[in-house]
Amino acid sequence: MEKKKYSIKEDFSMLALLIIPVGVAVNFVGGQLASLLKLPMYLDTIGTIFASMLCGPWVGAVTGALTNIVTGIANPVNFAFIPVNVLAGLVTGFLARGKMFSVWWKWILSMLIMAVVSIISSAPIVVLVYGGVTGSGTSLITAAAMAAGANIWAAFFGTEGIFTVLDRIISFLICWAVIKVIPARTLVKFGCGSNYIKDNK
Amino acid sequence: MEKSYIEKIQIHKTNKVAGLHPATKFLVVIMYTICTFVLSSVSLTKIGLPLLAIPWFLVVLLLCAASGALNKCLKALKAVVFIALIIFVVQTFLVPGGEVLVRFGFLKICEKGLRTAISLSFMILDIAGIFVWLFQTTENKEISRALEESGMNYKAAYVFTSTLQMINILSDNSKTIMNAQRARGVETEGNMLIRAKAFFPTLVPLVLGAVMGSEERVLTLEARGFSMQGEKTHLFNLEKSGAEGAFKVVSILITVLVVVGRIALWIL
Repeated sequence: MEKKKYSIKEDFSMLALLIIPVGVAVNFVGGQLASLLKLPMYLDTIGTIFASMLCGPWVGAVTGALTNIVTGIANPVNFAFIPVNVLAGLVTGFLARGKMFSVWWKWILSMLIMAVVSIISSAPIVVLVYGGVTGSGTSLITAAAMAAGANIWAAFFGTEGIFTVLDRIISFLICWAVIKVIPARTLVKFGCGSNYIKDNK
Repeated sequence: MEKSYIEKIQIHKTNKVAGLHPATKFLVVIMYTICTFVLSSVSLTKIGLPLLAIPWFLVVLLLCAASGALNKCLKALKAVVFIALIIFVVQTFLVPGGEVLVRFGFLKICEKGLRTAISLSFMILDIAGIFVWLFQTTENKEISRALEESGMNYKAAYVFTSTLQMINILSDNSKTIMNAQRARGVETEGNMLIRAKAFFPTLVPLVLGAVMGSEERVLTLEARGFSMQGEKTHLFNLEKSGAEGAFKVVSILITVLVVVGRIALWIL
């Protein structure tokens, strides 16, 4: 098979344009569901990961940015986290193009990369803009660690770190489960979709 | 006579402030944000508290009240106030440095803690508050039309509107799916592992259904000439309330005054 070329213009096909709203809505519903089931995670990047796995990094980045803009309408605190979600989309998209989701050990590696990127990108925002506390469930643990005398950065990395890795594992598994059941005739219409089709020989 | 469909979808606002053109509102938001940053760098009292950011918040409330949407805005502000309050409390008690001001048992308030607490929490409250005003007094339809008017690609504007609709559709769907799965015996209560497992049977059908649905919507949109090149007409048009000019002048004037005042304080 010849190597596929990518261009940003072709990335934003009609189907990709319609995947963006779906991705944003999935992010939103995922977050809602996580709080409904009382899980100590956000799980609000499922749609971003999904969009970038299917349509590449740029569509993923737009999905991520739009998610925070739309949720920011209800809760403007989210505006500050736009870079985190954009970066999550970009990284996942480039991993998908590099065919990093084909073998099981590559998944684990990609999941770790995704988790590390999102922790590193969100840490400065949480610490510098909000002083370490954003009012979510995990920030109580962070506050407790800070009160016990831990450094603000150490407290953040310790508590958010574990939950972010778990968050990414669940998000990724959901995306994988969905992509596996999408029929091949639909998958080929997506920019990176052909990477997930198994050859029937 | 019965109103035609085109007349029905227009938005008529009698209130002059709420009916401002979205672009003007956005200018007010930007000017206000600049002022917030400038004002919170001014320190008052002998321990240097940035107290000016507190009365500045009244401007948000004033704007909300002038738009006749005070109740609606206060409801939306609740979440912001809650976060600002948590930040305030945590910062006051946890950041050490400077003189100790008050001491209750093992908790103590330090100079530096109080300073960062006030500047952080009120900066967030101010900036988030003005955005609340913008979005509570403007309908989503107006925002997407204004984006298109300001030269944004019509496809991008469509993505924005469609996103807002999609959120409602999918969150309804997710409730339906969750109830259906519960009826089939999927447990949604119990320890964390069980609850985490319930996540999969709800989200996987939801995402899958949405993806298959968007494939069909591509066909529908193409059949209606969505990606056709050429001039497009609009059913919905934005109205101006007439106070745009005054608001632009006043907001720019206040910002200039604040910036000049800050520079004057530096020099003197």
